[in-house]
Amino acid sequence: MSTAATTIATEPIEKGNSLWHDAWLRLQKNKLAVFGLWALIVTTLTCVTGPWLMHYGYEEQNLDLGAVRPSAAHWLGTDTLGRDLLVRLLFGGRISLAVGLAATLVALSIGVTYGAVAGFFGGKLDAVMMRAVDIMYSLPFAIFVILLMVFFGRNIVLLFVAIGAVEWLTMARIVRSQVMAIKKMEFIEAARSLGFGRRRIIFRHILPNVLGPIIVYTTLTIPGVMLLEAFLSFLGLGVQPPMSSWGVLIKDGAEKMEEFPWLLIFPGAIFSLTLFSLNFLGDGLRDALDVRSSKD
Amino acid sequence: MPSRLIASLFLSLLVAAGCARKENPPVGTATALAKKILRVGNGTEPQDIDPQTITGTPEYRLMISLYEGLVALAPDGKTLEPGVAERWEVSPDGLTYTFHLRANAKWSNGQLVTARDFVRSAQRMLTPALGADYSYMFFYVGGGEDYFHGKLKDFSETGFQAPDDRTLRLTLRQPTPFLLQAMLHHAWFPVPIDVIAKFGGLDRKGSDWTRPANFVGNGPFVLTEWRPNQVIVVKPSPTYWDRARVKLDEIQFFPVELAETEERMFRTNQLDLTYEVPLSKIPVYRREQPEVLRTDPYCGVYFYRFNVQRKPFDDVRVRRAFALAIDRESLVKNVTLAEEQPAFALVPPGVGGYQSRHHLTGDIAEAQRLLAEAGYPGGAGLPKIELLYNTLEKHRTIAEALQQMWRKNLGIDLTIYNQEWKVYLDSQKTTNFQIQRAGWIADYVDPHVFFDLWRTGGGNNNTNWGNAEFDRLLTQSLDAKTTADRYEVYQRMEKILLDELPVMPIYFYTYTRLVRPDVKNFRTTYLDNYPWKYVELAP
Repeated sequence: MSTAATTIATEPIEKGNSLWHDAWLRLQKNKLAVFGLWALIVTTLTCVTGPWLMHYGYEEQNLDLGAVRPSAAHWLGTDTLGRDLLVRLLFGGRISLAVGLAATLVALSIGVTYGAVAGFFGGKLDAVMMRAVDIMYSLPFAIFVILLMVFFGRNIVLLFVAIGAVEWLTMARIVRSQVMAIKKMEFIEAARSLGFGRRRIIFRHILPNVLGPIIVYTTLTIPGVMLLEAFLSFLGLGVQPPMSSWGVLIKDGAEKMEEFPWLLIFPGAIFSLTLFSLNFLGDGLRDALDVRSSKD
Repeated sequence: MPSRLIASLFLSLLVAAGCARKENPPVGTATALAKKILRVGNGTEPQDIDPQTITGTPEYRLMISLYEGLVALAPDGKTLEPGVAERWEVSPDGLTYTFHLRANAKWSNGQLVTARDFVRSAQRMLTPALGADYSYMFFYVGGGEDYFHGKLKDFSETGFQAPDDRTLRLTLRQPTPFLLQAMLHHAWFPVPIDVIAKFGGLDRKGSDWTRPANFVGNGPFVLTEWRPNQVIVVKPSPTYWDRARVKLDEIQFFPVELAETEERMFRTNQLDLTYEVPLSKIPVYRREQPEVLRTDPYCGVYFYRFNVQRKPFDDVRVRRAFALAIDRESLVKNVTLAEEQPAFALVPPGVGGYQSRHHLTGDIAEAQRLLAEAGYPGGAGLPKIELLYNTLEKHRTIAEALQQMWRKNLGIDLTIYNQEWKVYLDSQKTTNFQIQRAGWIADYVDPHVFFDLWRTGGGNNNTNWGNAEFDRLLTQSLDAKTTADRYEVYQRMEKILLDELPVMPIYFYTYTRLVRPDVKNFRTTYLDNYPWKYVELAP
């Protein structure tokens, strides 16, 4: 890892310092952020490839075996229906990570577009668009999601697209305020005087400059969405059995923690690790991308 | 709407109580024993304490302390003994029951419990405006059903008659051999009509008469305190005719919904008796403290309903394949854990001495063959199947286990999904499901209760299944001269059910609870309706 890091660190210096390169260097100095990045990569890869290497299916039961503590046959033990916890954890990870990514992407595309348009045009359009956001903010979130659930039925993909469609609100506000600051800068004036269209100005000239806050907020949205999925699974509205997700596993484990502690410890640990990693990475990125905060 | 009304009543009650009373300090074991205070975990906050309108088991357990019917349970928890009626006669044709009431049976306000009280209580029960769920338990008496449906206007023309204050005569529509058993049910308890009339009218649910200050009952205990979502306190009634046999000084009923919380309260000495035991705790108690864990048979069956009008369950071969392809022994041994009996018939073993002769038989190979015959070899070509259960950890675990058995044995991939209790009940009523988890706990100890369910178009059938021969036998069964003859008819009905399988039985319930060793003479009866008056506390 250290050799890889140093080669990346030294090579581009010869080519000159871009903003992104500076950010990358700053990020690398943040130990926690680097740790988070690697932890995420390892977790994701394991969840994606791991289940193919296992002997057990995630739904495969062994009722006579029941819940046993971690052993050579079942590295993380089994649950009360005799299902291998490791496999369920990896499968659950696929769901949880996919849900986090999918919902965040939806939130990202809606939020960024909406915020950029509102911020760029300003005036009445901005007022109307932002009041709409305020109204949606005021809806009780859990009830809203449950309603969507009723509307979309028990389709997990649709549900999390729907969550993404709710999560974009904050993103829209952040992007709007950034756009409002940037649109008054000279280089935008220059683009305008060159006769570029609004669309081109928004997407080619303004958005690249707000990418920092967007990336940071995105890394913070993913854990939020994953927590939300856990919360919905807790209510029985998330994924349906026998499929698992980290939220489902933690909920099950919490109910049985005194008798079968491993059912809570492992899913809890991996979930926390992922959330911490995302938060560390998000923090690191914020520091790294904020040019004003560190001029070194 | 009524529930909101009740809620606001509770609120005002809470405020009133809060002003007047100091918070009771939690009662530790030592004081509880010295004063003989029994602390009972009682599931949920009761809907009400009106025995005619309640439906749940937590309420039933309260009712047993506050009221007494014509007959009562003896200390053995099985046989009947006189309650308000000191003796009774049944006419040879089984159609007329004459009850002679005790001279010393009194309400808690000192008035006598008269035969007229029972007649007027029955009338209230059969008033459609009250909307009591258990009205049908009074249809056995002549004219009851007609009065309920408005075909009979004058209640004095029904079979409920009170020739004098101490004689109650019931004339039945047809012989009902289990009538006395049914009378143990809370729907048959008398209610203080005059008191109810004073507080908002007879056909109003949840009016003020059930407040501690207004409450009047005829049972061994009276209501002294009701703090919603905290505790209900009852104390021995000084006017109760059998006061000498009431051993406890006080019972406190705690509405604790979460089994885990309840178990923690039990462990920290805050409860003497729990309502249930968390599934994962049963093996722990069995291993470490077997003396406090009580597991007894409970008169009920856990089953899955098929909607026989939805594909593929319109085909009896598919229903049979589903019913045969699960391993019930493994399920009760490894998943439900409370010594339940795997169910291969519809009536729990030994209800009223009845033993099912016909059983669900066949192996997985037969299930596969049946499924292939129905046109779905190896599960191929089946439409999407969804299994509905109400949101509860235990139901989900069972459904997951069965889901996997069907997948393995029949190659069927079905989805399981949950609904909240009220939504679930709505789906049940409108038969908006393919397979639905359900259970039935008997209201009285007689096999009849498990057949009455499946009457064509019956309110609790909910499978769209009907069978004319079955209905005919159901009516015929009550005319049988002897119990043995009647049970013969039941056997034939059970055969029909097992041939047609509108439902697939899974297991027969047991009741598991924790009981502190200080609690003496407590039994879990078949319906969990053991009279509190026999219970004692002694170190």
